[in-house]
Amino acid sequence: MDVVEVDELGKTYPKGTQALKDVSFRITKGEIFCLLGRNGAGKTTLLRILATQLRPTAGAARVFGHDVLREPRAIRPRISVVPQEARPQMMLSAWDHIRLMCMIRGMAKEEALRRTKLVMEEFDLWEHKDKLTADLSGGLRQRVILAMALIADPEILFLDEPTIGLDPLGRRQVWAMVRRLTAKGVTVLLTTHYMDEAEKLADRLAIIEKGQLAFIGTVDEAKAMAGTGMRVIVESAKANGNDREVLEPKSNTEILEIVQRSLNDGRRVTFQPPTLEDAFI
Amino acid sequence: MKSSLLRQAWYIGLLDSLPLLRDPMLLVVLSLISFLPVFFLFLFSGGTAAMPALVGAIVLTLAFIGLFAAQSVYFYKHWFRFQDMFVASPVSPIAYTLGLSLSTLFSSSPSVILALAVLVWNQPVGLVPILATLAVSALLWLSMVFAGFAIGASTKNTRRANSLPQILGFVIGFLPPVYYPLSLLPPSVQPFALAIPSTHAAQLAKHYFGLLPAPLTDGDVFFGWGYLIAFTVAMALLVMRKARWVDP
Repeated sequence: MDVVEVDELGKTYPKGTQALKDVSFRITKGEIFCLLGRNGAGKTTLLRILATQLRPTAGAARVFGHDVLREPRAIRPRISVVPQEARPQMMLSAWDHIRLMCMIRGMAKEEALRRTKLVMEEFDLWEHKDKLTADLSGGLRQRVILAMALIADPEILFLDEPTIGLDPLGRRQVWAMVRRLTAKGVTVLLTTHYMDEAEKLADRLAIIEKGQLAFIGTVDEAKAMAGTGMRVIVESAKANGNDREVLEPKSNTEILEIVQRSLNDGRRVTFQPPTLEDAFI
Repeated sequence: MKSSLLRQAWYIGLLDSLPLLRDPMLLVVLSLISFLPVFFLFLFSGGTAAMPALVGAIVLTLAFIGLFAAQSVYFYKHWFRFQDMFVASPVSPIAYTLGLSLSTLFSSSPSVILALAVLVWNQPVGLVPILATLAVSALLWLSMVFAGFAIGASTKNTRRANSLPQILGFVIGFLPPVYYPLSLLPPSVQPFALAIPSTHAAQLAKHYFGLLPAPLTDGDVFFGWGYLIAFTVAMALLVMRKARWVDP
């Protein structure tokens, strides 16, 4: 079932900048869909249109079958957004943020307390519940924002560069959280310019270049389409960095020839699978 | 999970005002700015000049607090990004506006109530003049909230979001005859002073407390209220043009 339908979507800002042009795709329920692209490619613009925060100027976009421009009120109770570089208020605690967000979204007091505790435990924030966010690390602050977005049990979660500025451990915690959500049937639309993030998370991805869709498909399809195959690294057994060749054979026969030749010469052979970054570049 | 508008506004107001209540230095500073001239007038001229100035300070505190909404709007939109989170949720734009507007009003109410108590102690009046003064102050506050929203929504620059309300505060607070009588200005300058809404608010409030050298005529009172209402409507139109819930 398609929960997001985008047809020939376009966006030109009031000052004339064309941010999106003829973008079309579908996202199915429970999918992790990554939008990849360079800074300024149009990822955030697309996410904001789908999250009903920004008006499109051409084409159409529907979320749960509702038009983002004409029926935003039917969409909003079922989604949540983590905006790019959102941050909590320094003089409030994690508890304050999450509980108040529950109340703002309309939960009864008891339900808000129960939900706040549950979400804080899920995000390993409970032990920090009374600390002001000024005293929390960047990773914990980001978790507070994510928790604020997730108190409503959204059916679609929009994440705009959610791991920017996080350390490797913090990034992995966010990835684990995204996977837990999709296991529960939540659909995730995530923008990133970290290739490893998209490679590890995406069920499908779209690459946006100058406001247009340059590619849509799985990570493997992206790598295959870019024509980047296995890399073979040949170096002397006592590798010192001076005698190192990186080869990109075009066929299995060529790989076998390289391996055979290298072994005869007493050189070491290692294989490096292609990455999404290779395909992207 | 049905949420009423007022409930949403209350909790958005709480989200905005809790940091100020926990660290009230900013509100103390805002109150000090408007009450400082009263202190000096009392030192140098005694109670005769200080009481009318205290009326002006009450009116201005609310005006400053209204302008201060510019910072909340700016920071919620561009710094914390909470506005984006609220737009993509069932939160109503009216609740959001109401919440951010009222948060600073609640936080500043202790200083206004204290000043009002001092004023009534020294210048006893009935309930109607007190209510009329509060109504005038509330109208000026509302117009300044609209101005604050227009500034906060249309700037993408932190320094401008901080400095513009301060400059405007200076223009509406310290230049026109808010602390001092209108009659102190040369007749040629008085029309310019009357173009500033805080002049009318202060004149009306002083009139209700019987602190003007000569009471206002009915025509002056009518004109003062009319000017304030017209200015508030103009600011409301400005904010409707500048502040958008869904970005264009």
